[in-house]
Amino acid sequence: MLLKPDLPPVISNWFAQKGWAPREHQLAVLRSWQADASALLIAPTGAGKTLAGFLPTLVDLAEGNFEGLHTLYISPLKALAVDVQRNLNAPLLEMNLPIRAETRTGDTPASKRARQRTNPPHVLLTTPEQLCLLISHPHANLLFGSLKRIVLDELHALVTSKRGELLSLALARVARLAPDMKITALSATVALPDLLRDWIAQPLPGRETQLLVTEGGAPPVLEILETEQRLPWAGHSANYAHHELYEVIKQHKTTLLFVNTRSQAEMLFQGLWAVNDDLLPIALHHGSLSVEQRRKVETAMVAGSLKAVVCTSTLDLGIDWGDVDLVVQVGAPKGSSRMLQRIGRANHRLDEPSKAMLVPSNRFEVLECEAALEAVAERQQDSEDPVDGGYDVLAQHVLGMACAAPFASDALFDEVRLAWPFRDLPRQQFDRVVEFVATGGYALQAYERYARLKRTEDGKWRIANAQVAQQYRLNIGTIVEEPMVKVRLIRGRLTKKGQAERPLGAGGRVLGEMEEYFFGTLLPGDTFMFGGEILAFQGMRDNEAYVTRAQATDPKIPSYMGGKFPLSTYLAARVRRIMDDPSSWDKLPNQVSDWLRLQRDVSVLPGRDSLLVETFPRGTHNYMVCYPFEGRLAHQTLGMLLTRRLERARARPLGFVASEYALGIWGLGDLSALIRTGRLSLDELFSEDMLGEDLEDWLDESALMKRTFRNCAIIAGLIERRHPGKEKTGRQITMSSDLIYDVLYQHEPDHILIQATRRDAARGLLDIGRLGDMLRRIREHIVHQPLERISPLAVPIMLDIGREPIYGEARESAMADAADELMREALSGPGPASRSRGAT
Amino acid sequence: MAEQELSQTPIRAQSTETPLLRFAGKNFEPLPSGALFWHAEQTLLVADLHLEKMSSFARRGQMLPPYDTGMTLVRLEADMRRTGASRVVSLGDSFHRDEGTTTLSEMDRARLDAMTDMAEWLWLSGNHDPRPHALGGRCLPALQLGGLTLTHEPQRGASGLMAGHLHPAAHIHIDGRSSRRPCFVHDNRLMILPAYGSSTGSINILSPAFVGLLHWPGLEVVMLGKDRVYPVSPKRLVRG
Repeated sequence: MLLKPDLPPVISNWFAQKGWAPREHQLAVLRSWQADASALLIAPTGAGKTLAGFLPTLVDLAEGNFEGLHTLYISPLKALAVDVQRNLNAPLLEMNLPIRAETRTGDTPASKRARQRTNPPHVLLTTPEQLCLLISHPHANLLFGSLKRIVLDELHALVTSKRGELLSLALARVARLAPDMKITALSATVALPDLLRDWIAQPLPGRETQLLVTEGGAPPVLEILETEQRLPWAGHSANYAHHELYEVIKQHKTTLLFVNTRSQAEMLFQGLWAVNDDLLPIALHHGSLSVEQRRKVETAMVAGSLKAVVCTSTLDLGIDWGDVDLVVQVGAPKGSSRMLQRIGRANHRLDEPSKAMLVPSNRFEVLECEAALEAVAERQQDSEDPVDGGYDVLAQHVLGMACAAPFASDALFDEVRLAWPFRDLPRQQFDRVVEFVATGGYALQAYERYARLKRTEDGKWRIANAQVAQQYRLNIGTIVEEPMVKVRLIRGRLTKKGQAERPLGAGGRVLGEMEEYFFGTLLPGDTFMFGGEILAFQGMRDNEAYVTRAQATDPKIPSYMGGKFPLSTYLAARVRRIMDDPSSWDKLPNQVSDWLRLQRDVSVLPGRDSLLVETFPRGTHNYMVCYPFEGRLAHQTLGMLLTRRLERARARPLGFVASEYALGIWGLGDLSALIRTGRLSLDELFSEDMLGEDLEDWLDESALMKRTFRNCAIIAGLIERRHPGKEKTGRQITMSSDLIYDVLYQHEPDHILIQATRRDAARGLLDIGRLGDMLRRIREHIVHQPLERISPLAVPIMLDIGREPIYGEARESAMADAADELMREALSGPGPASRSRGAT
Repeated sequence: MAEQELSQTPIRAQSTETPLLRFAGKNFEPLPSGALFWHAEQTLLVADLHLEKMSSFARRGQMLPPYDTGMTLVRLEADMRRTGASRVVSLGDSFHRDEGTTTLSEMDRARLDAMTDMAEWLWLSGNHDPRPHALGGRCLPALQLGGLTLTHEPQRGASGLMAGHLHPAAHIHIDGRSSRRPCFVHDNRLMILPAYGSSTGSINILSPAFVGLLHWPGLEVVMLGKDRVYPVSPKRLVRG
């Protein structure tokens, strides 16, 4: 039995009045504080983590003689900081404790923010970005000198992103300003808790950091929706399940329906309303809707007046929604940890089981759901590990530190290595980052006279002028929004040609925002789904997309861009295991086990550790379908590289399509014959060396690489952020980041920002790391199955052709075909003139 | 092996030879770099080099890579060697700012000096670089050559006019694929060259900037590919 720490009477009385007792893990956090240690508390949702985090502060401040900032609370969400302040203020008032707690976010008025610097509250609740602003201030030492504690909330969500990298650097600085402080981090259950503990221990060498783990309460009740309907082969809409889901919603008090992408949210919302005969209050929540609309939904949710909310990852974290008694995941669960956290959104009481339901939207997803079911039952964690630091983030921090005070390279280098993601940073790279911040870091020293950082006489680096600090403050943070445009609803009908009848009128309601590149693909008259309705695109004006309500029942343009999160490696392995083990099929729906049996009969099943490659003719083309199960992003990269190699092997590839599970390539060459006669070796085709020269060739022109570069360049301060409202004033003259990438990649492929881009691409949009692991795993384990016709397993990916974006050497081949067409016209006189968008 | 493959391929119209562009009764060779070679006059035409564009951002604290000038000059030098042109005409906006002629790095300056020695150089003035400068070659507001007028800005109702300024690009859609690339565009009276500079963006020829300049009947569009150019039918053009 552990010793019970003494609580001040005011606090123990408060517990007694409430009829509560402090929970063991809350006391454990207090004990660690009293033992002068930092602590990482891992506990499931509903365990009273917030109170655990603040208990030492309440105890320490109960006597009421403390002056200055005592506790800094950092949350990944602005809304969470506000919510936690509310939850903290209630007991503070009830206990009548002399503790002042305030939030500081982007919404805090400037006057209040200035006051907080000179006359800080005891407890400041804020975000990583605001912390960076605070430490870049010349008087940061005064503010943080008194600091005793830092509480990091939802740490598991922060450490896998660049925000976490930036936060770690800020913590390293705060640790220097307040050497007495201790860190308490709160986290959901993760795969490798020790890594997370190291992460918070790094800035405080010599201080003990305790790992406190609370096992979850009742195990969740999780099931897969049993359907009477036919399960679709492909697609992501789960249309088949709308009726059954509606019945489930009726049977529960409040249902939270999670989907993976915005367009899935749109389709599900639309589908549920189509069957909503009782006019139940069912709402929609995703990141592109206007802020007011989202707040309205959240308020209604807290008030308990909603029956269901369809949402994306925007509701993954944070606020306690109270009465949710069912969580539904529609579409692929992606990962076990992700699933466990979403399930935790239902029922925030620890001792009662959370209830959740999985709804696969196609047959492969049935397998993934089954794998997730097993993994969740075993409480297997497959969360992402904390990431190492990027040079773009470091560059931003270095500039911030120069804004605070001139720095000596040696001292800042030592400090930076106290940030866990940068613990192994080589000195040489650090110096290159400083050079980059000062003059761009080019081998060709062209910008000495415009340098942002200059050397002082004693060899320190200082900012060149006050404008540099101003630029830094405008550019702070690592969240780079895609360029967005407002979607404005105007009136007007379509003419036959798809043009608006009248000139585009101003005014009209703003429905929300969408990525600019999406509209780049639309032609006037094209229809798409947004905000729960089908809209027709009319044109762009002043950075706004003008749309009208469309009469169509099906949108013409699918805006499904795939989720941000690929299928976890862990679940992928489980899916392969299920396929490889027919004895486990009896728990699958008959439709799915029949499908697998058929595959076994006419082709073979993908093995646990091998790669199945099928080749077959269909129509005028030949197809190659392989099943790596490594997620869409890795498959896209694989498809790009394989088509290049097939081109060289004269197999005349035309394009490919990638899904979470499979990759399909088609072309003119007879792939089966090429392989049979030994002219094409699959082992060579899939050999790891594709990640060498072929990858380099492609990176040179890859649009994904350019998008990644843009983010790095903005975070690092090479190009300025677009600030809403400033575009029109012309104050921001921008240079296309694609052009900058082209120039830089060709001349300095080793530049610090290209290095940062490669790192991000490898683990992000190109997922090269995962592709490399897969290629190593399947080396000499490729099973080739030539077929007369399409196999059952290949049906889904074949159906994706036309639904999913098609890749290939599209830019050049589109022009070549247009040129051939012109030539034919020239030779044969006027042909059937078509002004439509191609022969679809 | 190649023959075997070919036999499996449906016969398609091939257009691999370098197409000639016929404009105002003269023949031109459009190069994939964006230059136009006028064989009869042994003249290489380029527009909108925008040299020293990236470095011009540094004054405002944006240290963009200072390599765009070098890239543009290397390409231009290769075009000069390949065509053996004895004359180069740069149709304005050769420098992103007038000051650009003084901020050239030593290497770029040496490279440019060698190039202006290699052939007769004519710098036409543009809106970005209106003032004459002291680099090799002659600075002129406009030029008459072989019966045609060469100048920076296109004009309405012109005839036999070759210009730049607008950075034309074509965006085509065909069979579900699309491609957007800089292009040459002309209607037999006005020819607009693509921007040649490595740091230049482009504007769709269907956008308002081009309205009233070109006449659709007789419109010819040649897009720049990686290693060749592609004449495309205007009916494939889309906005964006």
